[in-house]
Amino acid sequence: MTEKLLSLANLDPWLARLRERGSVYAPGTDQAGEVALREWPQPEPLVLDYKNFREPPKAFFLPRNQTLLYFRDGKTVELNSAVPETFLFGIRPCDARALALLDRVFLDGDQNDPYYARLREKTTVIALACAQAMPSCFCASVGSGPGDGSGADLLAVALESGLLFRAGSGKGEGLLAEAADLLAEATPAAKREAAERIQGVTAQLTPVPTADSALRLRGSYDSPLWGTAGQKCLGCGTCSFLCPTCHCFDITDEPDRRVRTWDCCAYPQFTLHASGHNPRPTPKERWRQRLMHKFRYAVENFGVPFCAGCGRCIRNCPVSMDLRTVLKELGA
Amino acid sequence: MAESRQLEAQLRETAEKLLREKNVSLFVGYEKASLPFRTTPLLLTKTEEAPRLVWNPFCNANLSVYLPRLFLAPADARAAKAAPAPPRVGVVLKGCDSRAVAVLLQEKQVRRENLVLVGIHCPGIVDRRKAEKALGEHQALGAGEDGGGNIRVVVEDGTESTLRREDVLADACLECRSPAPALHDILLGAPGEAARTGTARPGTARTRTAEFESRPLEARWAGFQEVIARCIRCNACRQACPLCYCKTCIFEQNRPRWIGPGTDPSDLALYHLIRAFHLAGRCTECGACERACPMGIDVRLLARKLSAEVEDLYGYRPGESVEATPVLSSFALDDPQDFVTEP
Ligand code: SF4
Ligand code: SF4
Ligand code: SF4
Ligand code: SF4
Repeated sequence: MTEKLLSLANLDPWLARLRERGSVYAPGTDQAGEVALREWPQPEPLVLDYKNFREPPKAFFLPRNQTLLYFRDGKTVELNSAVPETFLFGIRPCDARALALLDRVFLDGDQNDPYYARLREKTTVIALACAQAMPSCFCASVGSGPGDGSGADLLAVALESGLLFRAGSGKGEGLLAEAADLLAEATPAAKREAAERIQGVTAQLTPVPTADSALRLRGSYDSPLWGTAGQKCLGCGTCSFLCPTCHCFDITDEPDRRVRTWDCCAYPQFTLHASGHNPRPTPKERWRQRLMHKFRYAVENFGVPFCAGCGRCIRNCPVSMDLRTVLKELGA
Repeated sequence: MAESRQLEAQLRETAEKLLREKNVSLFVGYEKASLPFRTTPLLLTKTEEAPRLVWNPFCNANLSVYLPRLFLAPADARAAKAAPAPPRVGVVLKGCDSRAVAVLLQEKQVRRENLVLVGIHCPGIVDRRKAEKALGEHQALGAGEDGGGNIRVVVEDGTESTLRREDVLADACLECRSPAPALHDILLGAPGEAARTGTARPGTARTRTAEFESRPLEARWAGFQEVIARCIRCNACRQACPLCYCKTCIFEQNRPRWIGPGTDPSDLALYHLIRAFHLAGRCTECGACERACPMGIDVRLLARKLSAEVEDLYGYRPGESVEATPVLSSFALDDPQDFVTEP
């Protein structure tokens, strides 16, 4: 695992070099005054100490409106395959972690999803360790953390004088090798500073007891808590649309093409059968599904909860539902 | 306000009494949420839980959104036989929320005899996004109200700061013309709250609409496109709206599917146009849609215009009175006809 130092003065030249190979996206302030991943360069300066983006970067890998194939001349279908080289610089570790989780779904053996695979392959992910945790963050409770590099090709830690890079994949190693002339050796002092910064942010997190969630949720299928949650949930789907690990989709046909769009288990139609029967007839069953999928079925199938602890579902729920509260109550 | 503490105590007493005397079996209010600048709805059935109720400037959801689903007619005769009697429900209402209940009554979505409406004179509520933006780099760990009605915040390093009420009030509240719940069975608080805090700017909605309208056609279309471009079609605006209660929304019908479920630009535009039209003459301007939107979209851009049109043409403001004939159900010979054109 190679570690290198990039001085802040060399950040722009390095991004400019990546820019020669493809599109570069980096954190900047958008028109609405929010820090978001924006195509680089922009007139506004980069922002490295932002909390986290409003949206996770999942649309880069699972576009909201993705053409899968075209219908031509009534019969012939052709794959839509042009995928540009893309670099995402500065996504937070939880969001990178979420990509590692999505890989388990879309890249695992016989379940390989060619559309996801292509976008993932053509996109280089450079994560940036957090500068500050929010009260809604709980990454460390779900096996991730503010310095987690899983899912990223490179993890960067912002230091006083520059960025410490840690390669997380062959692609990441390659990037460091190519940029050798811009990089310096990582000094022990720099490594220590990085570790301290990550520790500092980790200390700001409030732990959520979810590690044994699979076992705990097994006995709670009939808990009255689902009814309480379902009664309050508006069934909007915001939690899932903004979740970096939620990945359910719908496929619809337009006159000339087949399109994949996001879908969500909070919607009644999600499980509606052609017969009219709906196995998840009320918000109660739907809410249970979302939590069970993340904290029980995923643990059983993949060994990890399908949650990166980013807290977006908590921050953005119009009625302020908090899955941490429900997990705690289920465990009590 | 200094009084929100007192109001909170009165509210708890009221709910406790209603439940204890079996006037209601369910009471819908707000309780503390896990994050600052928010509350979360509380659906109470037990008297001993009444102390969980809160009343503060973060009581943002329009709770009338929960009512229609409590009175849904069973699917068929067999289900109807087995179905329990519809509950008697107590619900906390701000001015705008009470107007939504009035529309729900007009549209026969709720039963008046099953409702105990607990109105509260509303001093306006905080838009958490404005508050978060006002804090800049800092982040709130806790928030409350000070004696002057401003918002006191404790940030990450333990220091306190104060946000001026008028800087963080929701747009709908700044624009609100009737913060007093017109429709109620029990009324808490004193009138003129908003006026007293000097935050009422009832003309602003029209000013905003007029500004938009003054742009040339292409600029208006571009402006609309720009506003909706960030929409992710998450449906929070629709689900937070008490008047979007259709059992199957047009966006969900799939035999045939009228509109694609994704963010294709034409689907996005249709989503917003259709919602604006379906709420014309009905929208009570509570702003729940806007505050629910995770993307910070000006969801009411078109609705503001339509409300002004309905008021100017028909002198009608939805939800002001249950007895008034809804504008879409009425016809008068002297209604304006000049929009009718020859084909
Ligand atoms: S965001 Fe909240 S209200 Fe919407 S579906 Fe999720 S839990 Fe329910
Ligand atoms: S479930 Fe919530 S906290 Fe977990 S990854 Fe999804 S949005 Fe983030
Ligand atoms: S948008 Fe229209 S069809 Fe959909 S729920 Fe609202 S009123 Fe009904
Ligand atoms: S809440 Fe916002 S993002 Fe969601 S559908 Fe409505 S306008 Fe679009």
